[in-house]
Amino acid sequence: MEKVEKNKKSFSNRLKSMLRVDFYRMLRSRLFYIIIACALLVPIIMTVMLTMMDGQESVNQQTGEITILEGPDYVWESIGSLPSDKQADGEEAAMGNMDVMALCNINMAFMGVAVFVCLFISDDFRSGYSKNLFTVRSKRTEYVISKTLMGFICGALMLLAYFVGAMLGGAISGLSFELTGGLTLMNIVMCIIAKIFLMLVFVSIFVIISIGARSKAWLSICGSLGGGMLLFMMVSMITPLGSTIANVGLCLAGGLIFAVGLGAISRVVLRKANMI
Amino acid sequence: MNAVEIRNLSKNFGAKQAVCGLDMTVPMGAIYGFIGENGSGKSTTEKMICGLIPTSGGSIALYGKDYRDENVRKDMGVLIEAPGCFPNLTVWDNMMLQARNLNIEEPEKEVIKILKKVRMEGAAGNKYKNCSLGMKQRVGIAMALIGEPTLLVLDEPLNGLDADGMRIMREVFTDIVSDGRRSIVVSSHLLGELQKVATHYGIIRHGKMIREMTASELDQSCRTFVALQTEDMDRAKYVLKGRYSRIEEDEAGYIRVYDTELPENIVEYLYENGLYVTEIKTDKIGLEEYYIDLMKEGK
Repeated sequence: MEKVEKNKKSFSNRLKSMLRVDFYRMLRSRLFYIIIACALLVPIIMTVMLTMMDGQESVNQQTGEITILEGPDYVWESIGSLPSDKQADGEEAAMGNMDVMALCNINMAFMGVAVFVCLFISDDFRSGYSKNLFTVRSKRTEYVISKTLMGFICGALMLLAYFVGAMLGGAISGLSFELTGGLTLMNIVMCIIAKIFLMLVFVSIFVIISIGARSKAWLSICGSLGGGMLLFMMVSMITPLGSTIANVGLCLAGGLIFAVGLGAISRVVLRKANMI
Repeated sequence: MNAVEIRNLSKNFGAKQAVCGLDMTVPMGAIYGFIGENGSGKSTTEKMICGLIPTSGGSIALYGKDYRDENVRKDMGVLIEAPGCFPNLTVWDNMMLQARNLNIEEPEKEVIKILKKVRMEGAAGNKYKNCSLGMKQRVGIAMALIGEPTLLVLDEPLNGLDADGMRIMREVFTDIVSDGRRSIVVSSHLLGELQKVATHYGIIRHGKMIREMTASELDQSCRTFVALQTEDMDRAKYVLKGRYSRIEEDEAGYIRVYDTELPENIVEYLYENGLYVTEIKTDKIGLEEYYIDLMKEGK
């Protein structure tokens, strides 16, 4: 009988084959395209809508408080809060301002990627693919690395898609592209790179939760969104619009520490737990 | 060297002991029929062999090495419970994923070869979710065959297959072990089908191996009987009970006389009692009846 040739099973070979398989799957997954499309379209829709609704007032019938919906003035507001003098504006400060952009900006991608990672990993266990995989691969390290990288790449693409969407939305709405308050283009680039590196922290958390939950996608999504929420406020603090190389370094270091630390724990969970 | 050698294996799920002190030996080149009631611990044992669940005690050696050894594991094929396929991917894509997982140098060539082997070439482009139950089962077996594994662990592989599918699988299994190097552990409740291919058997009950034997040992253990029909079956039964210790009427309407002498003597005896035999044959009980008898003994 003809012997089937198998490549030498070094760590790099195993990792390469695992990454190839995960890429193959990711690029054939509808969810991936839906998530990227959402990341592209949400900022366009939001920017256009908020610009149209800018200045509209709503009155609370019980308290009489007037809330003014505040639309963006600059296209960069989709990425982070601008160092602005608006807060010092006496008239606006007296009334409740609803700055939707401060809440629903590019940082939403950190939550979006949770859904992708959770469904991607739970699919492995739900379909039974994990049985085929772990029967022929007793080492779990490359599985954790591959899933973390996959989530990281998806997250990075979501951030970039959101950025492109925000620029398009700004252009459609006629928002200003002017850099104010001492911001430079380099700050914006650093901000995006820092966010991409910070994505590694979030993805590592989502991966360990998904591995723990295995086939229960609802559990991993709830856990990841809950866990992500705890860190969500940190994102705007660590990666402000005026980010510098220091922010990038901090996010890179944090990302690597979380990826290695939580990856090691994920590996132990995979070794000790039932795979089905 | 044996393909699988299990000693004193145990597995607890909390307070429940699913497998306790199990010993099992699968020789090289064997098709090992692993038989047991539902919940007897077959699947749990198979999952432990495949490293999918950790053991609570005991040892598992595959081809003389620890079952966790990466070099042994890469040469395994598995079908446990359901084929591990992504429903939205095609049969081809699913098989390519497994071929890539195994780091096969020419995955396309290997997938084409396996699809031909299980007669699934025409269904390669179908989405897995659109396949029929029998086709899904064939895909599952095909996935397990990728990379020419030296040890195949198949849990209920014949479920959902039609008669032709079962015949093809029997051919495939026989072909796999023909070189005497590769082995198959197959559990199935379709004992009649299993008996057609198995070379060795292991019967498990309440997590313990109660009997291990070769196909020829089973053949020797299976009692012979004479099956006959007469014009008056009730009277024939009454008459035969006077001379023979074990008489039964089977599902096909024959009277079975177990562990007996030549059929001519029975015919003559019935003739002396005024009964004419219309049909008579000698046979042996099959694996299914042997197994049922064994289970009854245990109870």
